[in-house]
Amino acid sequence: MLSAVEIQVLSTSFSVAFWAVFLSLPPAIAMAFLLSRHFSGKLALDGLVHLPVILPPVLTGFLLLLLFGRRGPIGVFLEQAFGVHLAFTRQGAILATAVMTFPLLVRAIRIAFEAADARLFAAAAVLRASPADRFLTIALPLAAPGILAGAVTAFAAGMGEFGAVITFAANIPGRTQTLPLAIYSVMQQPGGEAQALRLALMSFILAMAGLVGAELLQRRMLRRLRG
Amino acid sequence: MTLSADMQLQLGSFRLAAKITAPGNAITVLFGPSGSGKSTLLSILAGLRPADDDDIRLNDHRLSGLPPHQRGLGLVFQDARLFPHLTVRQNIAYAWSRAPREKRPGIEAVAKFFDIDKQLDRPVTNLSGGEKSRVALARAVAAAPDFLLLDEPFAALDGARRRAFIQVLMDMHRNYHLPMIVVTHNIDDAAALASHLVALKEGKVVAQGTFTDASRAPQFQALLDSADVGTAMPPSSLRSSHGGQSLWIRADQVLLAAEEPRAVSARNVLAGEVRAVTAQDDGSRLVELETERGPVLSRITPEAARDLGLERGKKAWALVKAHAL
Repeated sequence: MLSAVEIQVLSTSFSVAFWAVFLSLPPAIAMAFLLSRHFSGKLALDGLVHLPVILPPVLTGFLLLLLFGRRGPIGVFLEQAFGVHLAFTRQGAILATAVMTFPLLVRAIRIAFEAADARLFAAAAVLRASPADRFLTIALPLAAPGILAGAVTAFAAGMGEFGAVITFAANIPGRTQTLPLAIYSVMQQPGGEAQALRLALMSFILAMAGLVGAELLQRRMLRRLRG
Repeated sequence: MTLSADMQLQLGSFRLAAKITAPGNAITVLFGPSGSGKSTLLSILAGLRPADDDDIRLNDHRLSGLPPHQRGLGLVFQDARLFPHLTVRQNIAYAWSRAPREKRPGIEAVAKFFDIDKQLDRPVTNLSGGEKSRVALARAVAAAPDFLLLDEPFAALDGARRRAFIQVLMDMHRNYHLPMIVVTHNIDDAAALASHLVALKEGKVVAQGTFTDASRAPQFQALLDSADVGTAMPPSSLRSSHGGQSLWIRADQVLLAAEEPRAVSARNVLAGEVRAVTAQDDGSRLVELETERGPVLSRITPEAARDLGLERGKKAWALVKAHAL
């Protein structure tokens, strides 16, 4: 069925996409909640969050190198303080993927927060629930379908992240070589089209499964909320 | 316990400037036409919307400046606002688990009181409108508030269901010793519920006090549609089985006789003395009669007033039509 190389590529992709979504979920929820409220400077923050969608992914990868590279200000700090360096590592691939999928997560979750009935927060407030309590017990559960759908979509998109990953984390088999990077590599080799096609098909199936799965889960959760 | 508030709020051209007092052993009705600022006033009391300036106190404890969850005031909204991701039991428990231990009633007992104990484990999304209102009340009671504010909670109900709901509110007030402020613009509901009255017009308090007294004030009568002008009477004085505090007897439902009537269909005949006869804008005459069971208003035609020779000090009999009771 699957060759050892294919399994390695798939597991790298899974691991990178999973950790990218898992680690960016809490800040994405916080950012989405913030952006669903009204405050001055909201437009600027919204723009900043969505920057990776607008910028060429290669440029995002390049900016990450400038900041987190061996001579970048954050990179130097991480190396001195924790002995960690991110450029050209699995962790770097996760960071690049997280930065690219962050806007997708924030957008989906923010829509979910905005759709939640604000009148319910007032009802909770007069039942002695503090703002943090209201966030955890009302806002978060009501936004759960949106959060889940956003996470699955971001996961599927993260599996296919290319430009930022290859620029910041390079294309190292077994470490940073995800599905699209592997497709790119085999296409460089003469006669690699058949292998590229197999990988492309796997990529397609995974993406579709992710999207359909997200849709089904969301429908189920919404049915429970709306009765 | 007394809830008192003095508040100012400018909203465009609308100005709310109200000083109100609600006694702790009573149901206070906040009455006024739509747009008079009743709901806004409740929101300010509950801390859900800021006023330009307010001084709200529960006895000597100052509530102004506290966030809503620290005020200890419950609020039941027009729409039930049940949490859709929770069952009936979980909705009530949401309030109960945050209420002071020594004050809160048990969840099962509250559910039984509001007749929703069979629905406890159902999701709230497929309850009927009446059931939703009762769950909202049960949830508010389970929070054990010091004062409960209700914003036209029966606006969506009509007829028998409305009367039943008012009875539930009265029973709830008695059973849980829960002081309440109820917003309404319906005079029959106000009379049934109120022992205390605060009347609002365009953001100002125009009458305030016990319902019986404050509802006689000309400023209060001026708030009513002309067909609703009348007086409050205790149901017992009219041989009525009505369960509310007072009955609102409209001037149009009262006939007058200059001699003691004998064989009449009206169930209640009250002897009294004419206090005043005033001409209304539509030409009719409003006759105020002081009877042994309190003042009664009757609206009659100018011809009838002349034929009966009604004038101040003259003896007359008021006949209250049975369908008013």
